Amino acid sequence: MIDDLLTVFSAEFMRRIRSRPYIIGLIIGIIGILLFTRLPALVGDAFGGSSSIVVVGSPALTARAIPLLKSDYDVKAELQPQPITEPTLKEYDAAAAFVLTSTKSGLDVNVYAHDPGSMGVRQVRRALMPLQLALTTGKSSSQVKNITNFPVDVKPVASKFSSADQAELVRGIAYTLIFFLYILILVNSQLVTSSVAEEKTSRIAELLVASVDPVALLGGKILAGAVLALVQLCIWIAAATLGGHGSPPPHGSDSDNVFSLANLFDVLTPGVVVAFFIFFLIGFLQVSTIFAAMASLINRTEDLGSVTGPLAIPVVAALFIAIGALGTPDAPWAVVTSFVPIIAPFIMFARIAVSYVPFWQIGLSLLVNLAALYLIAVFAGKIYRVGMLLYGRAPKLSQVWSVIRS
Amino acid sequence: MLDVDHIHKEFGTVRAVRDVHFRIDDGATFGLIGPNGAGKTTTMRMILGILTPDGGTIRWNNARVRYDSRKHFGYLPEERGIYGKMKVRDQISYFGKLHGLRDPGLTTRVNRWIERLGLGIYADRPCAELSKGNQQKVQLACAAVHDPQLLVLDEPFSGLDPVNADIMLAILNELKAQGTTLVLSSHQMWQLEELCTSFCIIAGGENRVQGTLDQLRSAFPTRIVRVAPSNEAVSNVLSAVSGAQQAAPMNGCVDYRMPADTDFASLLRSLVAVAPVTRFEAVEPSLHDIYLRAIGEAA
Repeated sequence: MIDDLLTVFSAEFMRRIRSRPYIIGLIIGIIGILLFTRLPALVGDAFGGSSSIVVVGSPALTARAIPLLKSDYDVKAELQPQPITEPTLKEYDAAAAFVLTSTKSGLDVNVYAHDPGSMGVRQVRRALMPLQLALTTGKSSSQVKNITNFPVDVKPVASKFSSADQAELVRGIAYTLIFFLYILILVNSQLVTSSVAEEKTSRIAELLVASVDPVALLGGKILAGAVLALVQLCIWIAAATLGGHGSPPPHGSDSDNVFSLANLFDVLTPGVVVAFFIFFLIGFLQVSTIFAAMASLINRTEDLGSVTGPLAIPVVAALFIAIGALGTPDAPWAVVTSFVPIIAPFIMFARIAVSYVPFWQIGLSLLVNLAALYLIAVFAGKIYRVGMLLYGRAPKLSQVWSVIRS
Repeated sequence: MLDVDHIHKEFGTVRAVRDVHFRIDDGATFGLIGPNGAGKTTTMRMILGILTPDGGTIRWNNARVRYDSRKHFGYLPEERGIYGKMKVRDQISYFGKLHGLRDPGLTTRVNRWIERLGLGIYADRPCAELSKGNQQKVQLACAAVHDPQLLVLDEPFSGLDPVNADIMLAILNELKAQGTTLVLSSHQMWQLEELCTSFCIIAGGENRVQGTLDQLRSAFPTRIVRVAPSNEAVSNVLSAVSGAQQAAPMNGCVDYRMPADTDFASLLRSLVAVAPVTRFEAVEPSLHDIYLRAIGEAA
C-alpha cells in the first residue's frame, strides 16, 4: 500500500510539476510578488518618488521648514518663489512642490503634485505644525518641536509584541501568510481535482483502481499536491525575499522592507512558522480530499466548476474570517470558528500569529481537525471508490449519501 | 487456479450478478460470454477486486483475492483509458511500477513490449498523438508489462481493425503459450472459439452453461445435417427422422436440425439409397449456436 502510494505520488509529482497550469501559476505568483514588493518603488521612481519634494519660498521660511519636512519627505531642492510647472518638478525629479508663504495668520502652504491623492493633507499639516505654532506664538521652531514632542509610550498588556510597530509588522506578515495559505490551498486543491477529473473522464480510472487501492491512488495524488504546494510556497517566499532585498526603503521607515526573510523570522517565532505549516497541511488535506472525492463523480471536465465552486465558498469565508481575527484574535466568534473544520486552519493560524492562544485551544483545534480529516478521508475514500467507476448520469445527493453510509 | 464461487452483486435495486460460478485452471484461456448487461464486466471487476461481491467468494490459488495477489493480475477494461499527454514509454513504465516492477528489469520489459507491439517509433511521443489502434496496443502493454499470472480482457477486440485484431490475437496466443491464465469476454465468437479452452455463458447475471468446447458440444441436443444434392427424395428421408426440423438451406445443400443421438450412419445409408449423395455432413454446433441456445434465443 505504501509502495503504491509512493509510486502514485512520484508519478503525480513529476507529471504535475511539468504541467502548464502549475508552471503558469508559479510564474504568475512570482510576478505578482515581485510587483507587490517592487512596484511601489518603480512607480515612485517613475514619478520621482511620492515623497520627493522641492520646497519653494523665502529662504528664511524654507530654512525653518526643511528640517521639519525631512523626517517625512525627501527634500530634493530649496527654491526661491517662482511659478511651479511640470518642467520644474522634472528637473528636480520631485513628485511635488511645497510652496510656503508667511501670512498674518501664520503659514500658507500650496502643494503642486503629479498625483494630488498621494499628498496627504494631514501628513503635510503634521510635519509643518511646529512651524505654524512658531510663527503664531513667536517661539522658535525647535522650542515648539520640543513642546509638542511630549512622550507617548504604548504599554502592551498581555500582548505578544513589545511595541505597536512590531504588532503592525506581524499583522502585515500574518495577513500575507494567510493570503498565501488561501491561494496555496485553493489553487493546489483545484489541481488535484483536475487530475482526478482527467483520470475519470479519460476512462483510465478503471485500469488504475484495478492496479492499486483507490485510497493509495487518492492519497498519492493529495500528498503530491501538498508537496507541490510547499515547493510553490518556498519559491514564492524566496521571490518575496529577493524582491524585497535591495528595494529602496520607504522614506522614514526603520526597516529595510516589510516582507523580507529576515523580518519574517525576527517577528514570527518558530512556533508560529511551525503552526503555519501544520495548519496549511491540515487545511490542504481537508479541502483537497473533499474536492477530489467530488471530482470523481463528474463525467465531463466541463462539470468540474459546478462541483468545486460551491465547495470553495467555505474556504473564501475562512479567508475573510481569518483577516478579521487578526484584529480581534480573542473575540468569541474568532475562538469558536478556530475549531470548525475546513475554516479552522486559517483562523487558528491567524490567532496564533498575533496573540497568545491558550495551548488547550490549539490542542483542541488540532484534535477536532485531525478527527475531521480522518472522517473526510474515510467518506472521500468511499465516494472515490464508487465515483471513479460511475459513468452515465451524475448521481443525486441522496445516492452520494447512501454511498457514504454504506 | 481461479475459483469463482457463487458470487452475486447488487447496485441499489439492480441485481447485476445473481449467481455466477466457475473455476479456471492455471494456464487456461477462459471465455466469459453473455449478452450486453449479462454481468460480465461486473464479474470481471469482482475477480480483480475492484468491486467486492455481496455474497460468494473469489479465490486465487486457494486464497482470497487481496491487493498483493492483484499485483499478479492484469486488466484490459472495455472502456479504454489513457493519459493523453504522457509518453508511450512513460505510460507503460508507470503501470509496470504500479505492479511492483523496478529498474533495471522494468526498462527491459517496457522496451520488449514496445518492440513486440511495433510501437518503437512512437515510444517517446504523447499517447494522444497515436491512432486508436496503437493506443489500444499501449493499453495492452500497460495491462501485461508485468507478465501477469492472470490477465483479464474485457472485449479486447472491440474497435480494432482486422489487422490490429490479428495482432491482438497473435499476442494473446503468445501469452497463452507462455502459460498466462486468460479470461476474455468478447462478442467475436470465432475468435473466442479459436483462442479459448473453456467457456462460461452467463445471462441475466447467472450461469447458463460452462465447460470446454467439446463438453458444450456434447451437451448440445441437436446437430445440423447438411446434405447435397437438395431434392425431394433427400428431403423426404431427412424429414422422416424423428425430431428433425428443416433449417435454412445453404449453397445447394439441404440442412436439417436433428437430435444429437440420431444414428447418422444409418441415415447416410438411407440417403444413398434414394439419391446420388455428393455431400453428407453432421455439423458440430458452433460456439455461436451454443451461445444463442444458452441465452434462450434459439432451440
